[in-house]
Amino acid sequence: MKSPWIMAAALAIGCALPALAQDKVKLVDVIELSGAGASAGTNFKNGADLAAADINAKGGILGKPVEVIHYDTQTNPGATRAAVQRAIDEDAYAILGPVFSGPISASMQISQRAEVAQIVAGEAAGFTQQGNPYIFRTSLSQSAAMPKIAKYLKDTVKAGSVAVVWVNNDFGKGGRDAILPELEKAGIKVAADIATEQGQADFAADAIKVKNANADAIFVYLNEDESARFLRAAKQQGVAKPMIGETTLLGAKVIELAGDAANGVKGHVGLSVDAPLPGLQDFGKRFQQKYGYVSDHNGIKGYMAVHMVKWATEKQKKLDRKGLADTLRGATITVAEEPGILIDTTILKNGDLDRESFLAEVVDGKQVINTVLPKLNP
Amino acid sequence: MSAPATASAARPASRSRLRDGALLALVLGAAILWFAPAGMGRYGTYVLSLWLVMSIAVMGLNLTLGYAGQTSLAQAAFMGLGAYATAILTTTYGVNWYAAFALSGLLTFCIGILLGFPALRVRTHYLAFVTLAFSTLIWLLLRNEQWLTGGVFGIANIRRPGFFGLRLDGALAFHRFLVAVTFILALALWWLVRSPWGRAFMALRENPVRAASLGVDTRAYTLLAFAIGSAYGGFAGALYAPLVEFIDPSPFSLSQSLFLLLMVVAGGSGYLLGPFIGALLGVVLPEWLRFAGSLYLIIFASIVLILLIICPQGVSGLAERGWQALRRGRPAGGAP
Repeated sequence: MKSPWIMAAALAIGCALPALAQDKVKLVDVIELSGAGASAGTNFKNGADLAAADINAKGGILGKPVEVIHYDTQTNPGATRAAVQRAIDEDAYAILGPVFSGPISASMQISQRAEVAQIVAGEAAGFTQQGNPYIFRTSLSQSAAMPKIAKYLKDTVKAGSVAVVWVNNDFGKGGRDAILPELEKAGIKVAADIATEQGQADFAADAIKVKNANADAIFVYLNEDESARFLRAAKQQGVAKPMIGETTLLGAKVIELAGDAANGVKGHVGLSVDAPLPGLQDFGKRFQQKYGYVSDHNGIKGYMAVHMVKWATEKQKKLDRKGLADTLRGATITVAEEPGILIDTTILKNGDLDRESFLAEVVDGKQVINTVLPKLNP
Repeated sequence: MSAPATASAARPASRSRLRDGALLALVLGAAILWFAPAGMGRYGTYVLSLWLVMSIAVMGLNLTLGYAGQTSLAQAAFMGLGAYATAILTTTYGVNWYAAFALSGLLTFCIGILLGFPALRVRTHYLAFVTLAFSTLIWLLLRNEQWLTGGVFGIANIRRPGFFGLRLDGALAFHRFLVAVTFILALALWWLVRSPWGRAFMALRENPVRAASLGVDTRAYTLLAFAIGSAYGGFAGALYAPLVEFIDPSPFSLSQSLFLLLMVVAGGSGYLLGPFIGALLGVVLPEWLRFAGSLYLIIFASIVLILLIICPQGVSGLAERGWQALRRGRPAGGAP
């Protein structure tokens, strides 16, 4: 019965062999490729791969090719921690991902201890409020997006009451906790506060609750797949009030899955390949060409993350891990300076971002951007 | 799931030798694992540590299912209870980790007794459904009671314990601490299954009516099997929280209970070393297969599937069959 132990030792030694590559810029993408986050994670992965291909076609970063290695987190905090630990052991220059805030929270102390920048795709507010100087976002946080939505509900939709439908995971609960105080500040009454499950298939009961609440508007804050299912259920139940949401309600994937039911949906979009910016539109076209589908915001985030590394490395003119994080902190990256950033972006000291965002509407199965909202601190 | 029964009834001497062999393997394994991570890097060390923690949870389930024959789909829930109890006690109330570890074990032991009561009335898959409901209930509690558990945002910055003034924050130091704790818990289980208690558990698994007729208090032993198995789940959780330094409800969901069940079956249900092999398959194998890129989970699932087709009694069952075949191959009286 000794053999399993020997096998264990052999397996473990196999796991631990480090692969050093000094002639490359090695980025490890720790990302959800299976489990609940697989859809978002795959988009982010594809975006990062496209960015690496683009950069390498133009001679790499400081003349060195970029290599992006992907490790699946299984959307599990314990496995994410193992993957980030492996990235550090393998001397990753920077860590990209993950998307979900649970796995981010479980792994960000490791990159902080190793003083390696971790550029994540999460939107939940919490993890940039813990004083970790090595964590960076690629999207606006919920605490930045929700005031814009509350203002939109009050000024444009002119809603006196709102039904809030949210998914009970870190993303949805975070959004719900961020919007409720903003609605109160704007004097908007919450007519219904409806929690739904991650991966939920049938939204008929929730759609009926929403209908019975008889609010002036409905704020929908679900992940993409669930957003599409909710929109279909709401249409079947004859819900006619305006549906307002965030990027996850107006994304390409939702429009594809929800079909007609997505028409008329409005809201605030942080990143979109339909935004009136040539960089974003060009990225969208090339992404679709390469992967055969329209990128959602996570694809854009993956592309940006690699270009954030490129910009900062070229700025500091050397491959210095700690310097990378120091350069990114507080920086403003413009499209003129680094076209791959796709949209002018200011990185705040805590890793949050400030940049323009958009108000959009789905018309005839296409996302149409109506208004460009300025930076919070232009 | 009670495959080793005939073997144990027919060859008590061989089984007892196997158990002594298991003790030797435990001691040797602990010694190897103590030194194994030297030069291995923090990632390899972390994966080994995670393996040990999962082994403890699987050991508990192996006692409930493999030795006492009570199907439970709640082991991850007990792990969650232990992890949250330890995390809350150490971060919010500043309780010493050792006290929190003991309290987590006590809490899960008591709740295990309570969950054991339905097992007195229902068996096999009916019992599985009762434990399934319990598992879902605990997961909902962990997720929805945000004031206590942090809800979907979880609990971050869980501190690792010290040991008589030594800090165990480093990967290697904490790994060695885990080796020691796992060894002690495995030793306790080794003693338990050799004791009259262990024989009573197995009698319960094989034929409860006959066990009762021989004077075994089936009621007490059913409850104890649940309680001790659950306490091991709680201990595993109490170690998982400081290992990952962050917990949220996702690793304690029903699917994780099913995964732990798979580890028991794949490792060899009712064998002392089965949990270590099962957890090795469940935790270390997927990490090792990462070289296969996006195919790694498909390869992992195929390996487990083929393994269970070839040896339904798990890897330990296969090893035992091999050992017996080897002995039969020797000339009569040649066996030591």
